[in-house]
Amino acid sequence: MSTIVIGLSLSFLLFLLAAGLTLIFGMLGVINFAHGALYMLGAYVCYQIVHWTGSFWIGLAFAPIVVAALGAAMEVTTLRPVYSRDHIYQLLLTFGFILVIEESVRLIWGLDYKQVPTPALFSQPIAMLGSQIPSYRLFIIGFGALVSALLFLLLDRSRLGMVIRAASSDSEMAQTLGINVSRVRTAVFALGSGLAALGGVVAAPLVPIELGMGFSVIIDCFVVVIIGGLGNIKGAILAALLLGMARAAGFTYAPEWVELITFVLLIVTLMTRPSGLFSRKGRSA
Amino acid sequence: MSMLRLDQIIMAAIIAAMMVVPMMSASEESLNLVSLILIWGLFAVGFDLIFGMAGMLSFGHAAMFGTGGYALALLAPQFGFLPALLVAALAGAMLAFLLSVFALRVSGLFFSLLTLALAQLIYILASTKLRAFTGGLDGIPGVPRPVMFGVDFYNNRNFFYFLIAVFVIGVAIMAVLRVSPFGNALKAVQANDVRAEQIGYNVQRLRQCAFMISGAYAGVSGALLASLMFYVSPQMLHWSTSGDVLIMTLLGGKGTLLGPVLGVAVFEVLKEELSQFTQHWYGILGIVFILCTIFLPNGIAGLFAVLGRIGKGASK
Repeated sequence: MSTIVIGLSLSFLLFLLAAGLTLIFGMLGVINFAHGALYMLGAYVCYQIVHWTGSFWIGLAFAPIVVAALGAAMEVTTLRPVYSRDHIYQLLLTFGFILVIEESVRLIWGLDYKQVPTPALFSQPIAMLGSQIPSYRLFIIGFGALVSALLFLLLDRSRLGMVIRAASSDSEMAQTLGINVSRVRTAVFALGSGLAALGGVVAAPLVPIELGMGFSVIIDCFVVVIIGGLGNIKGAILAALLLGMARAAGFTYAPEWVELITFVLLIVTLMTRPSGLFSRKGRSA
Repeated sequence: MSMLRLDQIIMAAIIAAMMVVPMMSASEESLNLVSLILIWGLFAVGFDLIFGMAGMLSFGHAAMFGTGGYALALLAPQFGFLPALLVAALAGAMLAFLLSVFALRVSGLFFSLLTLALAQLIYILASTKLRAFTGGLDGIPGVPRPVMFGVDFYNNRNFFYFLIAVFVIGVAIMAVLRVSPFGNALKAVQANDVRAEQIGYNVQRLRQCAFMISGAYAGVSGALLASLMFYVSPQMLHWSTSGDVLIMTLLGGKGTLLGPVLGVAVFEVLKEELSQFTQHWYGILGIVFILCTIFLPNGIAGLFAVLGRIGKGASK
């Protein structure tokens, strides 16, 4: 039982991150290498807010906004001038972000591990079907499901979602129809950054907050996005479930090999269906 | 064409300067700095074969670099230095082959992601599962240097000349490769892979070959670095090593034979200078890197090209 809960919470955490990554790719055609760094930054900003106010919930509300604003600023100042160039340059820029973000974090918060306490509301474990479940994990599942649902509503049902979908499938046509595509790009990059930070905030009470946390997570994220099919959000959620559950099962039954599960999944996917397990025809990048 | 010649003149000047520096000054530090530039320069020259020539952005070159280091550390004590260096080159090429089996199933940005992921897998394996061979996170100390022809290369100056020899051979081979039919085919693949395929090139095979050669360069330079520092650790396999060589190559100018070496020199000197008055030099480097990506996509070598055009006036 606890394996399932841990797996599900891990899956939703991965999905929050992968959604941002795949959203940015779908719209901008950029693979954001700095996604892990933004995740880390989200956790640090949350730590700072908790440090000041003592409330995790304020951190949850504001840290993603701070990071989203930063993401928007980064997009406007650096990515916007290079869209017309080869995709490699955009990838390189996001790589440059990593260096700058990591160094800024080191400058501001130092090298020590930081800790965000689990919010009091969810600090007690809950007995469930004969095993003790940490209730914060249940919160992650509920919150992750909520955010995912909101995200789907936003993209599939709202007017803004329609604009985003239009602009990502054919930006020139969208431009011609009067959509301000560069503003949509900024919005999407901000949204993606915010989602990364949200992932960081949600993960903050579970893990020690340190500089390396971004990178260890970004590989898992890339794997989710590749397995799900780049730019495919629905594929991402299935892939996140697959990877999250596989990792949780690995922790329980073969902890020695858990780090390798990710790579095995990745390699099997690429050997069998390079465009992603859940890709529809014609959507492979 | 004149651009190429200007490039080569500058390069020759740099190498000459490098030879002269240790003769002029007795300082161990500058000797060490130039040795590092030679090693990383070789690495970057090999990296540019796939990045600048074939247009493939690999984020996994740390894997070949580190493997070369480990190959030398493990084999040199038993089989001698030069055979071990050869094996390091082969190990780099073989690993590149292995990675390419998976990574070349996809192209473009996916290739970058996959090489990154696979290199990370190697990093994890080396620091945990293969501890018996690699010494885990502690690494292997006491990596040997060659003693041959009656010359003791444990002397830093002698080893420096050894590095120059390897460097010059490596760059010369690369210079030939770049203008060979193979190099031209790679350029065709970068310019338009579909068309190259239609003309009759085996694009996958070309990419694979380039990746393996590049891997061999990485293996050799990794082995040399291990030998210079008498030490090899998983840090060499870490993704930031792949990032460093990428920064260097882009800084100097991708797609040119000598640009990457310039980039390495600037990188190492910047690092040396900046780290003297701030420990946050990596962040400054990041900003320099971002600015270069936006404003100087062809690197320092590109700057020379611009200057050359200005020098020639409006004739072109």
